[in-house]
Amino acid sequence: MFGWTGTTLRVDLTKGTITREATDLELAHDYLGARGMGGKIMIDEVAPDTDALSPANKLIFSPGPLTGTFAPSAGRFEVVTKAPLNNVIAGSNSGGAFGPELKYAGYDALIIEGKAAKPVYLWIKNDEVEIRDASAVWGHTTPDTTDLVRAETDEDAKVACIGPAGEHLSPIANIMNEMHRAAGRSGVGAVMGSKNLKAIAVFGTGAVTVADPDRFKAAVMKARKLIQAHPVGGTGLKAYGTDVLVNILNQTGALPTRNYQDGYFPTADKTGGESLAAKQLVRPKGCFSCIISCGRVTKVDNPAYAGYGEGPEYESAWAFGADCGIDDLDAITKANFLCNEHGIDTISLGSTIACAMELFELGVITAKDTDGVQLTFGNVPAMVEMTRKACTGEGFGAKLAQGSYRLAESYGHPELSMTCKKQETPAYDPRGVQGIGLNYATNNRGGDHVRGYTIAIEVLQNGAVMDPRVTEGKADLDITFQNLTGALDSAGACLFSTFGIGAGELAEMLSAVTGVEYSVDEFMKIGERIWNQERLWNLKQGYTTDDDALPKRLLTEPIKTGPAKGEVNHLDKMLPEYYQLRGWDEKGVPTKAKLKELSLA
Amino acid sequence: MTVKYFATIRTYTGESERRFDDAPATLRELLAALAARYGNLFRNAAFAGDALNPEIIILVNGRNVLYLRGLDTPLAQEDEVSIFPMVAGG
Amino acid sequence: MAKVLMIHPDKCTGCRNCELACSFEHESRFRPGASRVQAYTWEREGMSVPMMCQQCDDAACVKVCPTGAMHRSTTLANLVDWDERVCIRCKMCTVACPFGNARYDAASSSIFKCDTCQGAPECVTFCPNGALEFVDDEQQVRSRKKAYAAKFKEAFQEVS
Repeated sequence: MFGWTGTTLRVDLTKGTITREATDLELAHDYLGARGMGGKIMIDEVAPDTDALSPANKLIFSPGPLTGTFAPSAGRFEVVTKAPLNNVIAGSNSGGAFGPELKYAGYDALIIEGKAAKPVYLWIKNDEVEIRDASAVWGHTTPDTTDLVRAETDEDAKVACIGPAGEHLSPIANIMNEMHRAAGRSGVGAVMGSKNLKAIAVFGTGAVTVADPDRFKAAVMKARKLIQAHPVGGTGLKAYGTDVLVNILNQTGALPTRNYQDGYFPTADKTGGESLAAKQLVRPKGCFSCIISCGRVTKVDNPAYAGYGEGPEYESAWAFGADCGIDDLDAITKANFLCNEHGIDTISLGSTIACAMELFELGVITAKDTDGVQLTFGNVPAMVEMTRKACTGEGFGAKLAQGSYRLAESYGHPELSMTCKKQETPAYDPRGVQGIGLNYATNNRGGDHVRGYTIAIEVLQNGAVMDPRVTEGKADLDITFQNLTGALDSAGACLFSTFGIGAGELAEMLSAVTGVEYSVDEFMKIGERIWNQERLWNLKQGYTTDDDALPKRLLTEPIKTGPAKGEVNHLDKMLPEYYQLRGWDEKGVPTKAKLKELSLA
Repeated sequence: MTVKYFATIRTYTGESERRFDDAPATLRELLAALAARYGNLFRNAAFAGDALNPEIIILVNGRNVLYLRGLDTPLAQEDEVSIFPMVAGG
Repeated sequence: MAKVLMIHPDKCTGCRNCELACSFEHESRFRPGASRVQAYTWEREGMSVPMMCQQCDDAACVKVCPTGAMHRSTTLANLVDWDERVCIRCKMCTVACPFGNARYDAASSSIFKCDTCQGAPECVTFCPNGALEFVDDEQQVRSRKKAYAAKFKEAFQEVS
């Protein structure tokens, strides 16, 4: 057995039992690992009507077959569970070294079920697995929790944990690993909190084996060369981080501004990767096996917002920046640090604060609701204060920590929540870039960019180009990206490796590691299978074609200023073609023929 | 006319933007003038031989020149030109 | 001509490709625990430092070795080599090395210390950041010295 370890670890927190099972390798061939395999395990074991925060939900940590090897930038893992935010299959992907450490400890997946009677943490040292009392770490921030748990286990253990937001069951709480890496979206941290599980510490001394070492090394050398020669993978991301995107999206007129009231923010440059590199960057950082190093170790000296940590990424800088009408990078980075320390998703929280600012400016909420804070767009101290309150759950922060949909709906204005399937849409305005709108609307986890990153072609000129203003061809483009990402995530690779390599290189590395031959077609088919699997789950949750939608504002309110002034999104011109190319009926339901083709029926 | 520079292009120009009182007639003329001003690092980033370097992204009023007329894109005094290297993230 | 392995912690991003390359070269599999180089990361500070055998001229591991298993290589300059046939696994070398750069591995009954992959270190090949360098002794500090000289150059250019 190669690539996979062959063992899956199951921990029942209700009974306090720990069992080891053989990984189903037949399934692993078809679903790889991580997002695909985790989703398959969840569908098989969690009833669709399960309450996401009940003991019956399961929390799965799953690396991929490439995780733990030196395939470039392929050391990732996925946290899979039924999402408390919106009932979808939450697949939150993270880097760092936690996934590889799970593999070295001997596991393809860790399945956590039930609920502990009191706070606990899990300590995995190879075959020795213990459920330990966590009453002394409950309530602590993620960096402090990490240090405290390591002091009780091993100083080199890799720790994934929740912060106060996960303990408070915020449906936008995340899971942080190694202090700075986040399985960020859909509220996976709340599921961990609902199980009274504060942290997981892993230390592994085993190996990941390879079917054909010579072939694998040759494939890796080739992939590395392609990424290193690429202007983005090789130099751009290391120099400027992902936040370099602020300016190109703004100059395109597709930087959502003030809760998507506009698509252009005149002073956005002050919040971009160039400014970050000049003012806050201490050094670039790489996840396990990464050759790109987009991570930012950053420091803010400004006493009002002083701090040290990592980030912000582009999405975070946008959410606390342009989306809140704010151009103070020190404040943005401080908000990002607070989120990481307290374990809450930056995209969802920033967008929720922006939504609250609009509610405030419209007079729907007043200073009485916001603990006396004038929560207007561009109010820098108010943004940071609201972030802090959402992190700790105090006052109005408890409402913000519910995400923008629940917030806006509670005041009778769900239309002001910029969400798809109740998850906040990220930092690309679909009015200025048509295809990303189709991706938001059809995305299996709701508002999301990473699973259908059409921006690479529509804006970033990566390999091919397509005009962002047109709708023709976008259904096909979106499907290709969605399928590719499904397989890539499940292999354990980082999305950014596509700034240099594609399905061909990934399939070759996967074949050499596992000894299972994957052609490009088969690799893409795996992605399509995973996409359809997630779609079937969503249909069981009651989602219909009506939910393959965008916030109404993006369809009816044109962008007011900037280069894309006057534009709206034309989802209706893309969605029917998308269904057709997917092999789904006009209601968005996969046909029997398609399911049979994908071995899903 | 305003020309704005971003990411590594900014390190070649040493400034983030420059205003021109007389807009060159086409993008080709503009880039040639900028190459003369900023030197070979800029020239190599902008051109591949006589053609536009596929690894540079140039927007005129927010539109990628690949959807306009490439190097022959006409320029007017009120235009804003943005010049990027290939960038990405997310 | 003697080559030396140089570490540049300022360039290390903590990706541990060096550990992966080392274990793959020695075992054809990925076991960071088998790596002769370790890149340690301080997570709070976001700082990483690679550590490996420096092939000391006056090597404590060679001095304490009772069988001559740990010895200066006769074929490669500037290499402290380990002869597994002569070694009795007394582990004195692991105790003697002040840097912790030699250790005993029970699984393989071996002493793990950097052997420079017999003059072509894989960690250097796989480091994406230039944090590890295998250079002639005469040029070992050239990159560091020149980088600093460049800063002086910038400063002097501004005043002149």
